[in-house]
Amino acid sequence: MIAVDALSKHFKLYESPADRLKEIIFRRSFHQSKLALDGISFKVEDGQTLGIIGQNGAGKSTLLKILNGVLLPDCGTINVDGRVAGLLELGTGFNLELSGLNNIYMNGLLLGMDREEIDAKLDSILDFSELRAVIPHPLKTYSSGMVMRLAFSIAMHSEPECFLIDEALSVGDAHFQQKCIRRIKQHKKNGGAIIFVSHDMNAIKILCDKVILLDQGKVIVSGSPEDAVNHYNYLISTLNDDGEAVVRDEGLAHSFGGFSARINKVAVVGKISGTDSISCGEAAEIQVLMEANTVIENINVGILIRNNFGQDIYGTAIWKHKERVDVDSGESWLFSFTMNMNLGVGKYTVSVALSSGDTHLDGCLEWRDHAVSFQILASSGDEFVGMCMLEPLIHARKIEI
Amino acid sequence: MNLTIELTKRDFSERFSGSSLGMSWLLLAPMVNIFIYIVVFSELIGARIPGVESTLGYGVYLVSGLLPWVAFANTVSRISTIYVDKRHIISKIKLDLRSFPLFVVLAETVVFVFACAIFLVFLLYFDFELSRQLVWFPVIYALQQLFAFSLGFVLAIFHVFLRDLKEFVTVLLQLWFWLTPIVYTFDILPDYATEYFRFNPAFLFIKSYHNVFVYDSAPSGGSLLMLFALGLLLLGLGLLLHLKLERDIRDFL
Repeated sequence: MIAVDALSKHFKLYESPADRLKEIIFRRSFHQSKLALDGISFKVEDGQTLGIIGQNGAGKSTLLKILNGVLLPDCGTINVDGRVAGLLELGTGFNLELSGLNNIYMNGLLLGMDREEIDAKLDSILDFSELRAVIPHPLKTYSSGMVMRLAFSIAMHSEPECFLIDEALSVGDAHFQQKCIRRIKQHKKNGGAIIFVSHDMNAIKILCDKVILLDQGKVIVSGSPEDAVNHYNYLISTLNDDGEAVVRDEGLAHSFGGFSARINKVAVVGKISGTDSISCGEAAEIQVLMEANTVIENINVGILIRNNFGQDIYGTAIWKHKERVDVDSGESWLFSFTMNMNLGVGKYTVSVALSSGDTHLDGCLEWRDHAVSFQILASSGDEFVGMCMLEPLIHARKIEI
Repeated sequence: MNLTIELTKRDFSERFSGSSLGMSWLLLAPMVNIFIYIVVFSELIGARIPGVESTLGYGVYLVSGLLPWVAFANTVSRISTIYVDKRHIISKIKLDLRSFPLFVVLAETVVFVFACAIFLVFLLYFDFELSRQLVWFPVIYALQQLFAFSLGFVLAIFHVFLRDLKEFVTVLLQLWFWLTPIVYTFDILPDYATEYFRFNPAFLFIKSYHNVFVYDSAPSGGSLLMLFALGLLLLGLGLLLHLKLERDIRDFL
């Protein structure tokens, strides 16, 4: 378990490092302060994965470095049961001139293993990295993917109680990535905690049990991955908005925007069923009814279908279909998107966006998550596994050789 | 401790990686140097020092001061830049900044031991009379390296904030070398200068080596105590600075 309480950290910005010495000698301040973390508190239970998201400069890296112990906080406490190891320090101390084996020992010791432990795990590390054949050769003869594989394998075998994972997961080929993810899940199952920092919102939604959103050194949302990610999207949209201020609709939890146009009603109707319970493969219509408060030239209306894990399944917008729509003040418009719901069985939600720019990031008029939900039922015909139905043509013919 | 040993090994494997002779350079390099000092200086040029009968006197005098000095100077200069040099490790992995530089002391000691072994072979070969006082040798060396570590540690902390220190240390060590009676003897100094030399900490251990190797006498207890005290004092200063500045050191790296 990791418990962090009221953690704060500020950096002193000096023009040159020597100014720090001047401060000691002259007892006068030569720096500007920058608050990097401001009263951060959270808890990660055993077997839990905590996601940390936020824009660049929100304090994610500083937080990881403090958890890792390479930076010291100004105040606040961190209680960790056992060893914390990061996948941030992948390949620390690697020397390209030396053999892979030599580097395993050095890196392993830096990660807190001792020699006997590495001896015992060596086989397993070599197997995991699939580098047994090249291990006596110097590291400089490896491809960069191989170096990362080696680094990852060593880190994985250091078996800490808590893993800190940065964007590092994006290393290697798909085969190795899946292997790593399996290994991390195993670690979690064994009661290990994970702290995961990423800009990949899908990965955050899939892997995390709980997410905190950092902004300017503060935790502004702490809760389900869904909530935190939606709030993150809102943050990003405020950042890029030109002109109109983006606000949150206090009445609707999942809505934000400039609100010079509003989404009035959203519905999903199956062509056959006539309801929001739709058979797989059935055509359905997603209807968006909106009302404008001002003149909006070339409005864009977008929909985004997400599954019950919050993963984006399919999204599109009318601009992508070369439809230009100019809306006058006071007018109401109904936009409809009709499509075959070739989706796997399950529950889905639809998010809707109105904007005067290309994406919800610029000129956001309204973005509404969970505007409506629908479910896909198994159709009597094709049976398949997975998230989408690709309608293959299947042939079988005998080949004479 | 495990890590210190591994870092030491690593230090050597980095130094000799790609070289065919590898670790044998640890023997070859001092062999050539000691050959020059003993054979060329003593036998061929015939340099002598007053008060020593043996023809090898000057060569032994030179080597017995030079080998420890090289270990001392390397230890100080390498530790003094260690945090900046190894920032790629320190900024990623939690390490105790106080014990991290210890591997430099160990590595330089290994180099020193090899050099001393060669020196000993030369001395035996030339039938140089070894003094019983040599039992003091490891003690002097230990005190010297304590002083070197502490000095390096203090400098290393300052070096994080004052990068010019690297150049300064290089110059300082060179100046210090010539201000210490290693290639010359203390006796040739003019009287007005000798007073100042007593304030030279390196003189404390160099003098002691000369005593046990060349002059067959015990090192002065006062000198050794003084050296020990200086080492502890600097170590205390280093630990105090570390306590006050660790957060800043980590922030700056």
